[in-house]
Amino acid sequence: METARYAFEARSVSKFFPGVKALSEVSLKLSAGSIHALLGENGAGKSTLIKIVTGVYQPDQGSLFCSGQACRFSGPRDAMAAGIGVVHQERNLIPRFSIAENIFLERNGRHLFRMIDYKALAREARPWLERLGLDLDPALPVSRLTVAKMQMVEIARALALRSRVLLLDEPTASLTPHEAEALFAVLRKLRDEGVSMLFVSHKLEEVEQLCDTVTVLRDGNNVCDARSTESLGRQDFVHLMIGRTEQVVTRRDREQEDVPPFLELKSVSSALGHRDISLAVRPGEIVGLYGLVGAGRSELAKVIIGRYPVTAGEIRVDQAPVKIRSVAQAIHRHGIGYVSEDRKHEGLILDHSVLENAGITVWRRLANCLGLVGDRSIRALVEPHIRKLEVRTPSLHQKVGLLSGGNQQKISVAKWLSAGVKLLIIDEPTVGIDIKSKAYLHELIHELADKGTAVLLISSDMPEMISLADRIVVMNAYRVQGELANTGEYAKVSAGIMNLIHD
Amino acid sequence: MGRTSAYFQADWFGPAVISVLAVLVIGLIDRAFISPAALDVLILAVALNGMIVLSQMVVIAIGQMNLSVGGIGGLAAISFAGLMQVQGLPPVAAAAIALLIGVAAGLFNGWLIATTGISAFVITLASLSLFKGINLGITSAQPFYEIPAVVKAFGSEALFDMLPFLSLPTIVIAFALMVLLTRMPLGRNILAVGANPGAVALTGVSLKWTVIAAHVISGFLAAAAGVMAVARLQIGLPTIGDDWLLLSFAAPVIGGAVLSGGHVSVGATLWGVAIVAIITQALVLFKIDPYLVQAVLGLLILWAVGINRWREVRARKGEGKL
Repeated sequence: METARYAFEARSVSKFFPGVKALSEVSLKLSAGSIHALLGENGAGKSTLIKIVTGVYQPDQGSLFCSGQACRFSGPRDAMAAGIGVVHQERNLIPRFSIAENIFLERNGRHLFRMIDYKALAREARPWLERLGLDLDPALPVSRLTVAKMQMVEIARALALRSRVLLLDEPTASLTPHEAEALFAVLRKLRDEGVSMLFVSHKLEEVEQLCDTVTVLRDGNNVCDARSTESLGRQDFVHLMIGRTEQVVTRRDREQEDVPPFLELKSVSSALGHRDISLAVRPGEIVGLYGLVGAGRSELAKVIIGRYPVTAGEIRVDQAPVKIRSVAQAIHRHGIGYVSEDRKHEGLILDHSVLENAGITVWRRLANCLGLVGDRSIRALVEPHIRKLEVRTPSLHQKVGLLSGGNQQKISVAKWLSAGVKLLIIDEPTVGIDIKSKAYLHELIHELADKGTAVLLISSDMPEMISLADRIVVMNAYRVQGELANTGEYAKVSAGIMNLIHD
Repeated sequence: MGRTSAYFQADWFGPAVISVLAVLVIGLIDRAFISPAALDVLILAVALNGMIVLSQMVVIAIGQMNLSVGGIGGLAAISFAGLMQVQGLPPVAAAAIALLIGVAAGLFNGWLIATTGISAFVITLASLSLFKGINLGITSAQPFYEIPAVVKAFGSEALFDMLPFLSLPTIVIAFALMVLLTRMPLGRNILAVGANPGAVALTGVSLKWTVIAAHVISGFLAAAAGVMAVARLQIGLPTIGDDWLLLSFAAPVIGGAVLSGGHVSVGATLWGVAIVAIITQALVLFKIDPYLVQAVLGLLILWAVGINRWREVRARKGEGKL
C-alpha cells in the first residue's frame, strides 16, 4: 500500500475534449500535513485537473485514490463525501443566513421539517471559527462580512464536513495583501494540524512563501509532479511554466513611423481602482496589454471607452485632452471601439442575425432622414468584411448563436471594421477558438494595424502577445508594472514579462 | 448593533410605522375612517388580501413568480361554491376539495418549471389562462348563488364580536409560514435556492423538489384565498381572482422582498397589505375616483422598489462590514 502515504492521488489521468487532449497522463499527489501548489499558464490544463479532483469531470483514463483507496466521483457531491473540501473562486454562501447556518448548510438541509435550533448551531460553529482564529459571532449574517471573512467561513464549512483535503482556487484573488497574510497564517496552522491542501494561484511569490511541494502543468502534461519547493525560486517556477524550449512564433516586423500617439493615457486613475496608468498607442501600432487574470486590463478598456469614470489624470485622443462620458461618445466622436472578451454577453446578440450584429455599430451613421435604416445599405457596408473574414454562415440572416465560436468572434471584429474606428481595443480575441480561426484573426489584426488603425490588444496568451504586439505593457493589480519592446524572441520576452509581473 | 437599531433595520418597521401613522392622520381628518365598522372592513380586507399575497410571497422567496395565483384562486372558489350548490357537499368537504385543487395546480406549475427549465413567468402565464379557461368552462361565466348560511356567517361575523372569523386562517397561515421560513429546513432551503442555487445544489438539497414545494404551498394558499373570497362575497363569482395579481406583488415589495429571491418577510408583507388596504379605503372615503386607486397602487410599487434598490446599493458599498 504505497499510495496510503497520500491523502489524495490522481495517477496518470487523461481527459479528452472534442479535438483537444486537455490532460495527458497527469499525476497529482497530495500528502497530509502539507501545502501543495498547482501551477500552469492559462490553458495548461489546471482547471481541467481541478474539475477532476472536485468531481465535476470524470477522467477518461487513469485513476483517483483517496487515502490509498481507489475512488470514483460521479459528481461534486461524491468528492465532498470522500473528504475533498473546495473553496471556489466565487462564494458559495447564502448572504442573509448566519455564519453558523452557512457552516452547517449541508447537514441542515436533510430533515425538511425538523426545527432548527439556532443556539445549538451557533455553539457548534464556534469551535470551527476559533480553529481559524476568527472572533466572530456565529449568529451574524454572512452579508455583513468582508470577502476575506466570507472565505474563512467557507474554509470552516469545508473543515466541518471533515475534509482531509482542502482545495483553494485562487484564494487571494480578491484579498488585500494584509488579508492574504492572515489567510496564510491560518493555512500554515491547518497544515501543522495535518490537513492536506492544494493551493492554486497565479501569484508565484505566494507559492514560494507558502507551499511545500509543487506540481506544474504545461500543455496538459506534468512538467513536474510533487516536487519539493525548497530549492526552487521564482525564476525556476517561471521556467517550469513556460518551458525552456523556444516557442514557434510567427511575427511580422512592421515599419514603425514616428507619429504622435492617437491615444495617450497620462497618470490615469479610475473609479475601479486603477492608479497612475500611463500608456500610448500610435496609429498603425499594436500595443499589447499583458497581465494575469484580475490585473485590471479589461476594466481599463472599459474606462477608456467611457463606461467607468476617470478620477485623476488625463486621456488624450489625437493629442487633445478629452473626457469620454459614454460608449456612444467613444465610438461616434472619437472613433474608439471595443471588442469584448465576453462575446456572448457583451459582444454579440446571439438571437439576432449576422447582418444585424455586424451592422449594429453603423446604424446611426446609415440612418436616413427619417431615422430609418435599410437592410440594403447595411448589407453594402458589411458584406465585404464578412466575405473577407471568411465567416462560415449559410446566409447573412443566420442567427449568430448558431455559428461556431471562431465565426462568432470574426463577426464581433467585423462589426468594428465596418464602423471604421481609429482605435480598436481587442480583449482576448482568441479564447476558445480553433487554430485556423485564430490564425485568421491574427492576420486580421495585423491588417487593421497596417491600414493605420491603432490597436490595443489585451491577451493572456503569451505566444499570441509575442506574435502580434509591437510593444507590451505589463499590468498587475490595476497598475502598470512596466513596458517592453517586443523583439519576437519568445524566451527572452516572456521571461521579461514574467519578471515584470512578479517583481 | 443595539436592539433598538435592529428594530429600525427590520423590514416590517417602515411599513408598520407608515400604516399606523396613516390610520391616525386619516382618522383625524375624518372620524368615519376609525369607526368600528370601517376598521372591521379594513381588517376583513387585510385578512383576505393577506392570504392572496402570502401565496405569491412564497414563490418570490425562490426568486420566481406565480402569475396564476388569481387563476388558481378563481378555480378553487367556483369549485367550492359549485360542489356545495350542485353536488350538495357539506362546506368542509367542499373546501377540502377546493384546497386539493389548489395543491394540484401548484404541483402542475412547479413540476413543469422544475423539469423543463422554462421560466416560471411563461409557465404560470400559460397556466393562468388554462385555469381561467376551466373556470369559465365549468361556470359558463354564471355565478353560484346558493351559499350555505354557515359559510356566509364565516365570511361576515366575528369571534366575540371582535376578531372576524375570516382573519383566523390568515393568522394561522402567517404564523406557520413564519416558522417555516425562519426555523424549518424546507423554508430555509426555499430561501437559499432563491439566494444562491449553485451553493444549495452542492449541499445535496434537491433544487427540483424545493421549487415544486414552493409552488405547491403557493397553490394551496391561493386556493384558500379563493374559498375565503366566496365566504366574504357570499357568492361564488367566476371573476374571483381576476384582480389579484398587482396586489400580490405590491405588498411583498412594499415589505422589502427581494424579487430575485432569497429574502421575504411575512410580517413586513402583511404590513404591506395593510398599507394598500388603508390607501384604498381612504380614497373611497374621500370619494376619489376608484380608477385612481389603480394609479396610486402603481406609484406605491415604484416607490417601494426604489427604496429596496437604494438599500441594496447601499449594502453593496460595503458599509459596516466586519
